[in-house]
Amino acid sequence: MAVTSLALRRQRLTFAIGAVRQNLARGPVALPQPLAYDARMASPAATPDRALDTLCSELREIVGPSWALTGADDLRTYECDGLTGWRQPPLAVALPASTEEVARVVRLCHRLHVPFVPRGSGTGLSGGALPSADGIVIGLSRMRSILQIDLENERVVVQPGVLNLEVTRAVQAEGYFYAPDPSSQRVCTIGGNVAENSGGAHCLKYGFTTNHVLAATLVLSDGRIAHLGSACLDAPGLDLLGVLIGSEGTLGIVTEVTLRLLPQPEWVETLLAAFPSTDTAGEAVAAIVAHGVVPAAMEMMDRATIQAVESTMHAGYPDCGAALLVELDGPAADCRSLFQAVEELCRAAGATEVRVARDEAERALLWKGRRGAFSAMGRVSPDYYVQDGVVPRSRLAGVLAGIRELEQRHQLRVANVFHAGDGNLHPLILYDRKEAGGAERARELAEDILGLCLEAGGSLTGEHGVGRDKMCQMPRLFSVADQEVMDRVRSAFDPHRLANPGKVLPTPRLCGEHPGIYRPHPAELAGLAERM
Amino acid sequence: MSAPRPTELAQLAGAGLEVTESPPGSGLPDGLALARPRSEEEVSVLMRLATQHGWAVTVRGQGTKSAWGPDVERCDLVLDTTGLNQLVEHEPGDLICVAGAGMRLSELQELTSRAHGYRQRLMLDPPGSDAATLGGLVATRAAGPLRTRYGTMRDLLLGARFVLADGTIAKTGGKVVKNVAGYDLDKLLVGSLGTLAVVVEVALRLHPQAEARESVLLEGVDSATAAKFLIALRAAPAVPSVAEALWPEGAVLVQIDGTRDGAIRQAELVAELDPRARVLDLAEASYWEEVLRNRPWDRPGVVLGVSVPLSATRAVLDLVADTAIQEHAVALSLRGTIGCGELRVAASSDKVEGVRREVERLGGQVEVHRAEPELRGLGSRPRDPLAGELMAAVKQALDPGHILAPGRLEGLYQTAASPIAGAAGG
Ligand SMILES: Cc1cc2nc3c(=O)[nH]c(=O)nc-3n(C[C@H](O)[C@H](O)[C@H](O)COP(=O)(O)OP(=O)(O)OC[C@H]3O[C@@H](n4cnc5c(N)ncnc54)[C@H](O)[C@@H]3O)c2cc1C
Repeated sequence: MAVTSLALRRQRLTFAIGAVRQNLARGPVALPQPLAYDARMASPAATPDRALDTLCSELREIVGPSWALTGADDLRTYECDGLTGWRQPPLAVALPASTEEVARVVRLCHRLHVPFVPRGSGTGLSGGALPSADGIVIGLSRMRSILQIDLENERVVVQPGVLNLEVTRAVQAEGYFYAPDPSSQRVCTIGGNVAENSGGAHCLKYGFTTNHVLAATLVLSDGRIAHLGSACLDAPGLDLLGVLIGSEGTLGIVTEVTLRLLPQPEWVETLLAAFPSTDTAGEAVAAIVAHGVVPAAMEMMDRATIQAVESTMHAGYPDCGAALLVELDGPAADCRSLFQAVEELCRAAGATEVRVARDEAERALLWKGRRGAFSAMGRVSPDYYVQDGVVPRSRLAGVLAGIRELEQRHQLRVANVFHAGDGNLHPLILYDRKEAGGAERARELAEDILGLCLEAGGSLTGEHGVGRDKMCQMPRLFSVADQEVMDRVRSAFDPHRLANPGKVLPTPRLCGEHPGIYRPHPAELAGLAERM
Repeated sequence: MSAPRPTELAQLAGAGLEVTESPPGSGLPDGLALARPRSEEEVSVLMRLATQHGWAVTVRGQGTKSAWGPDVERCDLVLDTTGLNQLVEHEPGDLICVAGAGMRLSELQELTSRAHGYRQRLMLDPPGSDAATLGGLVATRAAGPLRTRYGTMRDLLLGARFVLADGTIAKTGGKVVKNVAGYDLDKLLVGSLGTLAVVVEVALRLHPQAEARESVLLEGVDSATAAKFLIALRAAPAVPSVAEALWPEGAVLVQIDGTRDGAIRQAELVAELDPRARVLDLAEASYWEEVLRNRPWDRPGVVLGVSVPLSATRAVLDLVADTAIQEHAVALSLRGTIGCGELRVAASSDKVEGVRREVERLGGQVEVHRAEPELRGLGSRPRDPLAGELMAAVKQALDPGHILAPGRLEGLYQTAASPIAGAAGG
């Protein structure tokens, strides 16, 4: 942190204190748990100002003055994640450098009953790293070391702030890779991936983060340090690691992770097939599945997406109703003939053109349009909202038809890009927030699309998580009993509700509010990452 | 508190619930009430009653693995899941199926193979488990040779419906492959040995069945050669479904599933890794297939599940060959970087402990898969006592009255520092 003038610092502190006061003025409802509220109020010494002073000065002591941020400008950097419609500056931000420092910061939070929100790179798309007004953010970005590379046992031990792609980069010369590849992989952290159980375009074949983590160190919300999993599979006892992965920072802070590596496949081949419609492309997908092929990736784009891609980035996609991108990898001995079969199945389903990448450069070009689809959309439409829903693959055609009807009803356009292999849809709802009610209609349409997914037997989210954004949608999928069971498990880890409160599981207080509108994430605008 | 008589239980539960007495030869105490619910509602009623009366409940499928994990401390009634055996859905186009937890594995395989125009199945093949129920396979996380390519129940379970000790009916996950809504409680159920909830329905991921299978055998080799071969296999341009070291026979069997040409080509490449390895003809291949299916631990003795880092493969094979263990036999499957396998040792507590210590020294761990009750608590414990404490907290949260298989999980999560009282030879 740059040296700031005393006056400026005081001003920032006043701002932060203001936030606490505001909070307390709003009464107990402003805090996640009556328990936390009562405890703080019960202690006469802990007036809000003094509590904040204590918090900030102790934070400085633990992480060092330059890594405890309390100024308004600094705090604003942390007020949202990739879902920029939700914003809330925290009381303070701590950037610890070790498990021990994380534990000390958390112990401090525990003592003062201050909630904390873990944060990696802030690329999450469900408001998972959205701060609490009465809490602090614990950023893991300084914990960026790869602690151990053990190729003999095909595993690495990393700190949570290591970026996803850095893992593969560290081992690719030796012929290995780390399989989960979210399209934000150049900027998102392993800690964030663990919290979100992130997948990528290749998870159809390789699975998600949960299939590639062996062990994790977890700082519990009382500051104790637990080691879950083991260096091998089949760790003894209950699979708490499996529950931790995908828990979105609500069970504690992950400070060390053991990941599995895979040997690179011998052979990779990619094709792009053009179809008259998404229905015909969908038939090809069904035929490929029926043939027993599990492609490494299988992605679909509809006409609206292709046109946007072509008008902005000229990837050379054919002008057609739907494009299907299929990638196969594995032993050449097997893949060559399967790839031929895929080509034939595409033609049989009505593909008007099939392009096969002849080399790495051509493969990159075929992927370019797919990877850039979201940012292309940002350039052809003033605003867009990206939905993340899942449908059983066999119900794709029906759901896409349903989306077309919804477009009519809400008078908005939807462009469809999706992981066809696993039924994970990413409809892009195009709107203009300057138009009266535009944002509101977009939100309604997005929720209606989720309704279609759920009716078809799918899910609320395939990879972006529940976070704050979909918390209030949880009852659409889970009964009160289902949620209560999750809540019981949460309480077993975090009885005081200090770890990322107000996320994942709905609370009556929070679910009255409406989410804001979507604005592209800075990383996306800078071309550092694309949405998938 | 005292165990209900079968007639008493039937009366309390109301019409419809089938209650009998534990059959002789079932390994259960005589005269124990055995309830066989046919719906999750019946399970719920039963569990509510158990909670009210403080009855300890043991959940049982076909009983093929009732000797897995630490023994229960008490059992007042048995909940037999075999009445929950309906196929709810098989959607071949989605490669998923949903079925009652009491369905037998063999029945599921049979039903899913019937889909016209598809060749697919659940890629799970624990030896001697055709009769095993799906719920039992979830509870034990039992796996077989195919785990090399397809993993275990942990990787195949997409969702579940379950009933808690207090009768709460709940679900987790769904029936789609990709899903991050809410906590992944599926993982909690897998391997929980019936201690957290009664699983009543499961959604499973299926995989396409390949056109052809080829087998490669490396025979009559020492542990160093076998270990070197397995390591080389990881880097070979082949994706084996099965890679098993059978010891002390001194054999490594690799099976490859693929297209007709692809499988044979991959098998040839694998055979090139060592001059003594060769591609098997059909007759030999089916002989070895049979060997895998009837692995030596079908004989009496203690069966341990072992899991070690790949770099310790040789050391484990040597451990097996160590005469001190006697009656030794192991089959170690290669799961990525990790050797997971089952090891049969002479049935005495000092042998079990010796193996566990050695495996732990190699960076691995041991689970007890089959043993006399007094030996079942001798498996590895979580390396961190705090992890054990968290497991206790989860158990407490879901089964506060400790009526589901009381004592069993406690035996698993208590850490090495505080061994359970009464573990014989301890
Ligand atoms: C352009 C773009 C493309 C994307 N593409 C994909 C994709 O293809 N697939 C996909 O799955 N996701 C995708 N995402 C979403 C996002 O990148 C992932 O969810 C990613 O895992 C988040 O990592 P992060 O480091 O940014 O975490 P953050 O956004 O900082 O945090 C995400 C959640 O994790 C928690 N958390 C972070 N670190 C820790 C820790 N150490 N311990 C405990 N909890 C922690 C936070 O509290 C929060 O709840 C995309 C996002 C963007 C902006």
